[in-house]
Amino acid sequence: MPLNNTNIVSAAQTKFGKLEGITIREMFAEAVDKATVEAGIPKKDIQAAFIGTFIPEMLIHQGHTAPLLIDYAGLRGLPATRHEAACASGATALRAGIMAIESGLYDTVLVAGAEKMTSVSTNKVTEALAAAADDEFESSIGLTFPGVFAIAAVAHMQKYGTTEEDMARVAVKAHYNASTNPLAQFQKEITLEKALTPRYIAWPLKLFDCSPISDGAAAIVLTSNEKAKEYTDLPVKIIGTGQASASMDLCNRIELTSFESSVKASKIAYEMAKLGPEDMDFAVVHDCFTIAEIIASEDIGFFKPGEGAKAVREGITARDGDKPINPMGGLKAVGHPVGATGVKQAVVIYKELIGEAGKNQVPKYDTALMHNFGGTGATCVVNIMRRADA
Amino acid sequence: MNDKSNKPTIEKYKQFIQEGKFRAFKCSDCGAVIAPPLGSCYSCGSSKMEWTEISGKGRLVSFTVIHVAPEEFQDEAPYYIAIIELDEGTRVTARLSGFDPLKPEDVKLGTSMELTFIESPKGRKYLAFKAA
Ligand SMILES: [Zn+2]
Repeated sequence: MPLNNTNIVSAAQTKFGKLEGITIREMFAEAVDKATVEAGIPKKDIQAAFIGTFIPEMLIHQGHTAPLLIDYAGLRGLPATRHEAACASGATALRAGIMAIESGLYDTVLVAGAEKMTSVSTNKVTEALAAAADDEFESSIGLTFPGVFAIAAVAHMQKYGTTEEDMARVAVKAHYNASTNPLAQFQKEITLEKALTPRYIAWPLKLFDCSPISDGAAAIVLTSNEKAKEYTDLPVKIIGTGQASASMDLCNRIELTSFESSVKASKIAYEMAKLGPEDMDFAVVHDCFTIAEIIASEDIGFFKPGEGAKAVREGITARDGDKPINPMGGLKAVGHPVGATGVKQAVVIYKELIGEAGKNQVPKYDTALMHNFGGTGATCVVNIMRRADA
Repeated sequence: MNDKSNKPTIEKYKQFIQEGKFRAFKCSDCGAVIAPPLGSCYSCGSSKMEWTEISGKGRLVSFTVIHVAPEEFQDEAPYYIAIIELDEGTRVTARLSGFDPLKPEDVKLGTSMELTFIESPKGRKYLAFKAA
């Protein structure tokens, strides 16, 4: 079934990074205010809320976050539900919002995500993140999150000749793009040499191959076609959405050089939108690790399997390239507050598509794809978006 | 032992490893060997499982060396974690034994491997493989 009624009419994020002295409720409320009242959308118009948070139980000893967060943000009383799919929590909340609008149940809903990660020790965060992998059969022998993507990297290097330098180039690009993004955690360029600093986290992945630990929140407002006109002349339509799952553990995957959930979710989204990768002007993909961006760029069909690294080397995925990827800086340099990430990706696409990405504006911006990945790739959500006048 | 008590469970699968034995699930209907355990066979859809012995032979599919480890594994780092495809067709995630963790460049994918076990400083056994 095609999507024909879902519009993004506003989108905002807080700064990502170590937000000292700011709790999850406060950052959530800031994102909501920016996406509602500050964008000319009264809070009383919001009829339901779909919230992504990953693991506040372990990070800040707090469950049942949806009513808690919306209460502080002035939306008390609304139906509010939390969606958890590890790093894809935000995008699964977004899909619930899409379904709520398409079904006709609501005209206007809030989709938001948040995570507070820096108030506990790095060890505690590592332990919390490990909960997104298969505890019984993989984490319990000492496999870590970077380890999962390192195993994929080794397979990709062997099969296609991808190198540590190729991966480092993804980090250099991310930092370059984030250097002009005032909301990014790292607003500083890095050299290739620095990206290659041999501080191994999980060989062959090094410190600069990994996204950081971050705090942050993001929010968007979705409305029906009829209602959208009240808020903006330039809504962004969500025209395709796909979601798929895969085994949690890597040993049950037939392919290690491609993520089957990404391939499936992309196929569903493209078919729904009646478009293909050639129709996408740019993409925002889940670069939790540099290798993840390379593989995602192949899985979404931008490049043939094995040619993702070449595309980075040749600058095709640079902001001014033919197929820009993560033009604002990605998870790698903007930060990765887990529950907020999937919503933030939609914020980035919205800003780019309406031409308000400032110094990070891509040259062509009619249609784009977002790819949000959960945990080891056991969940993937792909959405295709197009500006209403395109 | 009657049928009921011999039904494979995750708990027993893990207990076997602690005893230095590797037993896999086997689909009673099509014979597919399944490890780690699954509640349903992806070859035929059956949920009837029994235990099977495995050869312990396989090949190295991919690997990493964990340098930054969770707290409970910190005194073991750096250590190898690998994906091994068993001759029986199923793949498991396991430790590697007998390879220098500081020379991962020397490890070749596709290498023939055989089953062994590694014991952690705290006395926990991990499923592990060494070059055959
Ligand atoms: Zn079977």
